[in-house]
Amino acid sequence: MSQQNRGVLEEIVERLVELKDTSELMIDLAYSSLLLNNTELAEEVQRLEEHVDKLHTDFELLVLQSEFTKDQARGFLGLIRLGVAAEKIADAAAQIATVVLRGIEPHPVLQLSIRKAEETVVYMPVAADSKLVNKTLLEARIPEETGMWILAIRRGGKSIRPKLDSKIMAGDILIASGYAEGEESLRKLATH
Amino acid sequence: MPRLEKVKYRAVPVRDIFLEMKNLSELMIDLAYSAALFNDHELAQEILELEGRVDTLDCLLEMTIMIAARDAHDAEALTSVSTAASAADKISDAAGDIAAIVTQNIGVHPLVSQVFEKTEERLMQAKVTADSLLVGKQVGELDLAAKMGIDIIAIHREKDWIIDPEKAEHIRSGDILIARGVHSGIKEFKELAEQKPRRSID
Repeated sequence: MSQQNRGVLEEIVERLVELKDTSELMIDLAYSSLLLNNTELAEEVQRLEEHVDKLHTDFELLVLQSEFTKDQARGFLGLIRLGVAAEKIADAAAQIATVVLRGIEPHPVLQLSIRKAEETVVYMPVAADSKLVNKTLLEARIPEETGMWILAIRRGGKSIRPKLDSKIMAGDILIASGYAEGEESLRKLATH
Repeated sequence: MPRLEKVKYRAVPVRDIFLEMKNLSELMIDLAYSAALFNDHELAQEILELEGRVDTLDCLLEMTIMIAARDAHDAEALTSVSTAASAADKISDAAGDIAAIVTQNIGVHPLVSQVFEKTEERLMQAKVTADSLLVGKQVGELDLAAKMGIDIIAIHREKDWIIDPEKAEHIRSGDILIARGVHSGIKEFKELAEQKPRRSID
């Protein structure tokens, strides 16, 4: 295999990982936007949808450039189909977000179905000397300490789906929801 | 041609139908990726069945919404439910498309396993050995989400699939467990499931 081709394959993996993670993050954010009737979150979903569209095109171009042989064609078709599925998931998330963006008041049954109703969404920057820096979400115990739930972490223009082993970094913006009283506790954690 | 189930209206709360559609569709994504990662034909087949179930639910939900709307205000509010439900249906279709990569033998490229080593959420399949500590335990009592950051999304027991197992479900020897979650938890849980018998000292 040529050196160049190996580089292409690595890039294909990177793009597909991002497609998968972003599309799933979008579902979480889209349902949250509906639950909280929150326009900012819905707009975030739409922004991510545009990002996914670009990413998907890049991904498909890379797959087509990867010098595969006739025997390998089916495997590469499988990769393309995985990309299409992730893009379809992102589309579905964007569709959920349109409810909020159209100004339709989400029906109460949705709020009952999605999660216990929470009240607010905050965007909390993490300061360099915050005790959250370099902790994983598991170690940070944010829901226990503040009652706020992390919906996403925005880092350098990208949104990351929060997992228990995701590490918090200085400069991250934590997108969190919960009762308004939790905001002050979260601000304290994020500042020092 | 897929067999389509005949759908007859029955009174089920909108909330219940929507909740099932939402939960199933999200679960199906992970199950579908798991089928692709492990090239698991039986699981892929099960996902196609679930896709049919979500279609039926969507149809039932549409009927229920139509009956529920009494005036323009209701109609506006219920649009939100119908839009969200059709999105959940789309998500389940996407999961079906992933499953079809496996059932139609299109081929899962070896790169896919590298992809799944890098995603935020990891997937696992493990067969429970007779010596595993998990045998006889209830899914709920393991408290996997809190202790390991993972959850069991399906159990394959002989010919049966138990999707989204109840807390009271007992794990049996020979079960194939499908789980998702953080990397460290997945590793630990796989070892727990596949525990080998201890060698006696002789």
